[in-house]
Amino acid sequence: MKFNKEIKNELIELLEKKNIGLEGNILKIIDTSDDPNFAKYVEDCKEKDKETRKKRLDITKQVQEKNKELLEVNAENERIMEELQSTLKEVEDAKITFEVQNRELVAWKQDNERISLELQQEMAKSELARIGAEEAKTAAVNDLDVLQKKKQTELIGNIVKIALGVIISIGIITTFMYILALLINKDTQMIGSTWSNMLGILLTNAFSIIGTIMGVKYSGKEDKE
Amino acid sequence: MIDSLMLVDDENLFHLVFEDACSLLDISLSLKSLNSSDEAAKLFEKWFKGDLQDKPECVFVDLNIIGSSFDGIELIRKVNFEYGNNVVIGIISSSNEPEEQAKAVQAGAQFWIIKSDDIEPRLEQFKEDYEGYKNRTAPFKVYK
Repeated sequence: MKFNKEIKNELIELLEKKNIGLEGNILKIIDTSDDPNFAKYVEDCKEKDKETRKKRLDITKQVQEKNKELLEVNAENERIMEELQSTLKEVEDAKITFEVQNRELVAWKQDNERISLELQQEMAKSELARIGAEEAKTAAVNDLDVLQKKKQTELIGNIVKIALGVIISIGIITTFMYILALLINKDTQMIGSTWSNMLGILLTNAFSIIGTIMGVKYSGKEDKE
Repeated sequence: MIDSLMLVDDENLFHLVFEDACSLLDISLSLKSLNSSDEAAKLFEKWFKGDLQDKPECVFVDLNIIGSSFDGIELIRKVNFEYGNNVVIGIISSSNEPEEQAKAVQAGAQFWIIKSDDIEPRLEQFKEDYEGYKNRTAPFKVYK
């Protein structure tokens, strides 16, 4: 690209007076081979452009670096947030699990209390049944005792009756034989002594029996007491 | 010096860095910066159909272009296998994965420039190798 003399002078003047010069890649395609002054102008503009670009490049790089750091910090923040959310979720899950376990424990406790109450009621019933059984046992033992006494008394009564029957019968028979012997005038010496001996023995035995009976009865009363 | 460059990158700040670095290093006269691979693909489709206005000589493509339908490697594949294969094209990315680089080679990438704070030395090396890429004699190279 070539400029005419007028434009070249205007461009040079603009740079000198107002510090405004050409910039960018256009400087690379300007032909300055025939004009050393304009060649110097283009070189000055190139140098100025280079300085500006260097500055901008440095700043852009710094911004880029900051941007990169910010992105890393952001990524780290996101990671921490994810971790926090994950931890929060774990805590919430643990809380839910704890609540469920707590509910189960409360239900279990209520069951236990109910079972304990039922057990106490059953124990009370059992105690009552035991007392009833003991009372029944005592009553049965008493009944048995009474029955035994009754049987004993009956037996004693029977023995007494039989014994008295035997004694009375023997007494009657012996008396009858003694009376008969008297009536038919037979010798009564032997039967008389026999009758008196017999009567004595019978009376002795009768008193002995009565004594024995009374003793047994008295002994039974003591046992009962 | 390269007549015209194209940069496809989703990071606007890098557009400024790349433009200033290229200007300071006298790499190119003009630079067109795009934010998405879809936009770039549309332009290449237009140029492939015959309208060659504004067509760049060389294209730098970012590997992962956020907000685009496809990544940089797919864009290179499209440019090379669907839109004529007649530009110097390669990846400019902060990634240095050999697997991705192998994929880029298969798609027809000619170079891989590692994007970092100090990009100027790599661009300077690239400038020196550019003629080899232009006449397709230089092998695939990673600028670390």
